Amino acid sequence: MSKNLSDLSGRKGLEQNLFEELGIAARETGTPSQEDMERLSESFLMGKANVYGAVSFYDFLRPENQGKKIYVCNGSSCMTAGTQGKLEAKLANHFTANEIGTMTCLGRCHENSAFYFNHSNYSGKAIDQIAEIKNNGNPLPDQYAVSSSGSAILTREYPEVKEYYQIFEKCLSKKPEELLSELKDSGLRGRGGAGFSMAFKLDSCRQSSSDTKFIVCNADEGDPGAFSDRYIMEKRPHALLMGMMIAGYIAGANWGVLYIRGEYPESVDIINHAVTSLQKAGLLGDNIKGSGFSYNFKVVEAQGAYICGEETALLSSLEGQRPEVRVRPPYPTQQGLFNKPTVVNNVETLANVPFIMERGGKAFASVGTQKSTGTKLLSLDGFFNNPGICEVDMGTSLEKVIYELGGGFRKPVKAMHIGGPLGGLVPVEKIESLTVDFDSFAKEGFLLGHASVVCIPEDFPIIQYLEHLFAFTAHESCGKCFPCRLGSTRGFEMLNKARTSDYKVDRTLMNDLLETLEIGSLCALGGGLPLPIKNALQYFESELKPYFKN
Amino acid sequence: MSTNVNIQDIRASINPGAPIAYINDKPYTLEPGETILKFVRRHLGKDLVPTLCDAPNLDPFGSCRVCSVDVALVQDGPAKTQASCHTPVIPNSFIYTDSSRIKKLRRNIIELVLTDHPLDCLTCEVNNNCELQTVAARVGIRDVRYPEGKNHLDKEKDLSHPYMTSDFSKCINCFRCVRACDEVQGELVLSMAGRGFDSHIVKSFENTFFESDCVSCGACAQACPTSAISDVFESKSVAIDEKTRTVCTYCGVGCNLEVSVVDGKVKSIQAPYDAEVNQGHTCLKGRFAFSFYDHPDRIKTPLIRKNGHLEPSTWDEAYEFIANKLVEIRDNHGPDAIAGISSARCTNEENYLMQKFIRAVIGTNNIDCCARVCHSPTALGMQRSFGTGAATNSIEDLKYTDCIMVIGANPTDAHPVTGAKLKQHAMKSKTTIVIDPRRTELARYATHHLQLRPGTNVALLNMMLYYIMAEGLEDKNFIEARTEGYDEFMKQIMAVNMDELESITGVKRELVREAAIAYASAPNAMSFHGLGVTEHSQGTFTVMLISDLAMITGNIGRPGVGVNPLRGQNNVQGAADMGCQPHQGAGYLNAYDPEVNKKYEAFYNSKIPLGKGLKIPEMFDASINGNLKALWLMGEDVVQTDPNTNKVIAAMKNLDLLVVQELFMTETAKYATVVLPGASFLEKSGTYTNGERRIQRVQKVVEPLEGTKSDGQIIVDIMNKMGYEQAAYDPKTMLEEISQIVPFFAGVRWEELGDNGKQWPVKPDGTDTEILHTETFKRGKGKFHYFDFKESQEIEQHEAEYPYIITTNRELEHYNAGTMTRRTANVKILTEDVLMMHPEDAARHFIEDGDMVCVTSPRGKVDIKAKITDEVRPGIMSTTFHFPELMLNIITSDVHDSEAMCPEYKIVSANIRKSKGKFKQLAEV
Repeated sequence: MSKNLSDLSGRKGLEQNLFEELGIAARETGTPSQEDMERLSESFLMGKANVYGAVSFYDFLRPENQGKKIYVCNGSSCMTAGTQGKLEAKLANHFTANEIGTMTCLGRCHENSAFYFNHSNYSGKAIDQIAEIKNNGNPLPDQYAVSSSGSAILTREYPEVKEYYQIFEKCLSKKPEELLSELKDSGLRGRGGAGFSMAFKLDSCRQSSSDTKFIVCNADEGDPGAFSDRYIMEKRPHALLMGMMIAGYIAGANWGVLYIRGEYPESVDIINHAVTSLQKAGLLGDNIKGSGFSYNFKVVEAQGAYICGEETALLSSLEGQRPEVRVRPPYPTQQGLFNKPTVVNNVETLANVPFIMERGGKAFASVGTQKSTGTKLLSLDGFFNNPGICEVDMGTSLEKVIYELGGGFRKPVKAMHIGGPLGGLVPVEKIESLTVDFDSFAKEGFLLGHASVVCIPEDFPIIQYLEHLFAFTAHESCGKCFPCRLGSTRGFEMLNKARTSDYKVDRTLMNDLLETLEIGSLCALGGGLPLPIKNALQYFESELKPYFKN
Repeated sequence: MSTNVNIQDIRASINPGAPIAYINDKPYTLEPGETILKFVRRHLGKDLVPTLCDAPNLDPFGSCRVCSVDVALVQDGPAKTQASCHTPVIPNSFIYTDSSRIKKLRRNIIELVLTDHPLDCLTCEVNNNCELQTVAARVGIRDVRYPEGKNHLDKEKDLSHPYMTSDFSKCINCFRCVRACDEVQGELVLSMAGRGFDSHIVKSFENTFFESDCVSCGACAQACPTSAISDVFESKSVAIDEKTRTVCTYCGVGCNLEVSVVDGKVKSIQAPYDAEVNQGHTCLKGRFAFSFYDHPDRIKTPLIRKNGHLEPSTWDEAYEFIANKLVEIRDNHGPDAIAGISSARCTNEENYLMQKFIRAVIGTNNIDCCARVCHSPTALGMQRSFGTGAATNSIEDLKYTDCIMVIGANPTDAHPVTGAKLKQHAMKSKTTIVIDPRRTELARYATHHLQLRPGTNVALLNMMLYYIMAEGLEDKNFIEARTEGYDEFMKQIMAVNMDELESITGVKRELVREAAIAYASAPNAMSFHGLGVTEHSQGTFTVMLISDLAMITGNIGRPGVGVNPLRGQNNVQGAADMGCQPHQGAGYLNAYDPEVNKKYEAFYNSKIPLGKGLKIPEMFDASINGNLKALWLMGEDVVQTDPNTNKVIAAMKNLDLLVVQELFMTETAKYATVVLPGASFLEKSGTYTNGERRIQRVQKVVEPLEGTKSDGQIIVDIMNKMGYEQAAYDPKTMLEEISQIVPFFAGVRWEELGDNGKQWPVKPDGTDTEILHTETFKRGKGKFHYFDFKESQEIEQHEAEYPYIITTNRELEHYNAGTMTRRTANVKILTEDVLMMHPEDAARHFIEDGDMVCVTSPRGKVDIKAKITDEVRPGIMSTTFHFPELMLNIITSDVHDSEAMCPEYKIVSANIRKSKGKFKQLAEV
């Protein structure tokens, strides 16, 4: 990151945002023209290299994206479901090879066969109507099961805007300190993966002195297999928006920024629509309802880079910089977006806030376990009999989720990849020893993460899955730290070579590589990759044996 | 040696209560907030923890991870691996720098790096000076176990640029170049592009160095730990005989340079990281533009004009000729028929000798130097306001300031290293006020740009002063305690006619008001000014108004404030300090004061004149009038650089004797009676004083070219020839002499100057002074002065016929007359002078970018290529005089500052028309 670039980008505030401008400039051809980049570098007082460097980072901005018309999902779930080969074959009748790109996980894991066309996502049987879709668009309704067991904090229905935002208006009548103390009482931990206390972050930002502060919602739900944030944005958008507004009131921030992944076009539209309805209801802008508090939203559509789910990369991305992971300190709550104090929280975390404010922190804390309070959403993929979203109290047994809410597997499964690509690879025999909470997973050597569940059927080779994980990391590595940039590619090359030739991977070398990634990487991408690999090496030793030596 | 140290013993020896942490189980004191790497290096040196992406002048970045260490909260407890470069030390933690896990991690990282790096160390230009090689050897790599995979080994070299080179097959993606370009130079030319394994360094839009926006500062090459970015001189190669630390000869920033020599020839130059002035940075002039020094054009023998031609002679012949001629002229016309112009490019010692020669040997006060044509108004104005004619603060103070005000200066071109620091300030949106007719690079980033009409500084500063008073933002305590003349001053300022001033300057009053408030309300505000202030008919007055601004807001006498002239030439401060001006002798003592005169006479052991001496413009007039018969020029090309060229030529031609000490056959040397070949800065020792009063050692790097002599020795030779006993030129003994006569040099000793020099005044005990006027002003109280704006005669007399205003500026690539830089590859980067004009003006005259334009002024005309740009306002144009092919000073005027006689280079009334050919109206040689 560059402090200079952060500042230069921030000079235009959020109204004219460099990153957004790059997306606009790429709309017509798939990549910004040199003239556009030159104009933007001049206007933002940046170097040409800065603008080009940022453009070349993103899947949907870089020159290679030029001319792409339709994108096939290549996420883990669609891969293990084995649907994408047929999908591509069908698309080839309607599009040239150059027009077909890939997107990593459209969040349609519940029925797979997913593709993106003209700002809409399609999945399941949609491919059969590709000719119609190509001509008329015509997105089909996206249907999946939503179930809950226990408290239903996030999946509960909420009333109309005016009534629902009574919670917010009530908050405005209290002191930020009071609200913060409710939040502390709730014990709410970040749902993005790290499980960090939300109250702590807000408090730290609140105490940083600055005229300008930001609440940023990390809606870059990039984990293949996860679509619970998508669920919230599309089905419960006001829980999220109100959560951000209350967070802003507590921290003293007047801007809420939603960074929503471009692979979720419907989420972007629905959130924009929800923001408009708030404006109409007089709940945004200056001096809301005469409270003295002002708040506005900025919705930014991302451009295809998994690393932007890492909070500091996300901030750089919002600034139009290359989203390379930053070192800490300074922490975002001290120097975040445009070098200003910023709280970055995940969608699900923020969506819990209205409930906490309505019912009190203690009520929230009474749900779940002592260390993991509240509920958790899980995303169940197409291998389940009831694929979709389910909400359970923290501490609920995994067995219950899988066999009751999920209805069990519709096909023999040997392992589940839970918590995204950096989560643990849970063999089916470990199901009964796990409960849905941060600590249980950690204790057993896994990671709850974002609690997405991608199934690996018995006939899917584990070696191929590991190769996929390395390939994913290699593709998504920001390239900043040496271990991840080099190690993910070398790991992929070794596994690919072992799978496709008589080359055997040196087990010592693999162990060295995994340790280097784990303890040497700058962020959780390189640092997290070894977990599922090590799980696989442990639980699928015999299946993997032919590919290794020593 | 036993390493068994009792922790309790060490603990007891450390200041009790001081925070500590342990490195490999031994306790050390901790500074608040420091990173593990800083902490370890501060106590145990830079080699204990290896690094690749870390660099002394860059922020922690955390990409290579080689600096990782283990950190435990209890001794031998569970440890977490942390990158030491960006992780703050936890008090009382236990840091293990070389645990087996850490050793293995480092080895494994380097092994990964080597999977994508050519293994051709022995033939690589940085062999034995490659940080990757050093770290690889240190961590002990035996083999690379990975199978061959994707790599960047086939990346093509970039040899497009006269200086910069790249070979990205050697790149290890440490980002040091990108960060240097951003954090040090602020140029933003380099970035990473692509992502993951495919990430790679780009210049602008994947351009070559030459096509890119690179300003050739070389910071990236110096930062690069391998040879991925380097330069044509292979400055990171260790195949050298010796390195010498010296000071740059170009601008007044005074960068320290480390010069490498092979076989008695300069091979390359780098910037030392421990240099207080430039911290490892310098510009393309300092780093790369040195090849002039042994250029074939160097004059290698004295020349005497015989039958109209300059013919080679011996030194003895030349000295004999000069001495006879000088004695003859002195005898026939008196000593005042002789004058000398010293050189701000030469050392303090040489300047001291020059004025001593003119005063003590010739017997006249006709001594001046090129400060006359640049910062003489600064010296005079600041003396009148404060008592001392030099920068009040140090460049280091930029760290402590909240606001910078830059008036009439374009430091990113003319003072590149200070310019880069100012730009860093501006890029971070800290308050930056630029007052300049051009939208300079700094103005692009500034919070306030007041784009005034050239020549209206006084009007604009009066507007600022008015608003500070009107807003009640003056520092009453400071005014009361430290200044005089305020009441009268206030009355005059409050009576200004704002409508009139707004129309004179062409700057909206609201913009001025905002800038005034920003300057006055900043806790610490620093002003910087350049020739856009001084080279005007109201130059001295402008300097005094800048001083008023500093005093009215109390911005004097502490870190981060002050009035800071950006001195132009490397030693222009020193030339004046040493007495190279008619009215003040060495140490600024009044040369016309009989008491002082006695002191000088005793010291020089000679009769010293009391009569008024001539300033440079007066010398030209005197020559034309026939009163001046002989002129001695030490390294000064008056024909190309002084205004109104044809008048200067007439003056040169009218002399009986013109002696020129020079490196090259300059436009002036062509008119010489005798030319004496001097030596360049690389060939002599001495001291330069930079713009922040820092006296630094210039050290001889190579012997003078055969046939040439140091300028100091030439003066010594002629002094002896004329019967005055002066010891051979030696900086050490010269400094000893100077320290006895120049009061603020009292404690200056050659040996004690060290690598980073000392800032005057230097007390007899050797302590120096970073900030002036901390308690009282040199003159007691600071004095307020008010001045009315007065239109320049140039405009008043010629506006009707010549409606455009041309102002003059400098370009980064060339230095002044270009005598040196044009004899380096800089000339491949910037090839000619151009005339910047606004698109509206161009359209009015049907001129397109690149067309030749005929520019006429009351003095003459020149043809120059148009560059169409909105950097200038309509009606205003700007150009440079780096190239003798153009001789721009044909059109400049000899109107000068009313007080200090500094010429008004910044205003030329002109007319333009499209032209087809070249026209240069020069008097014949």
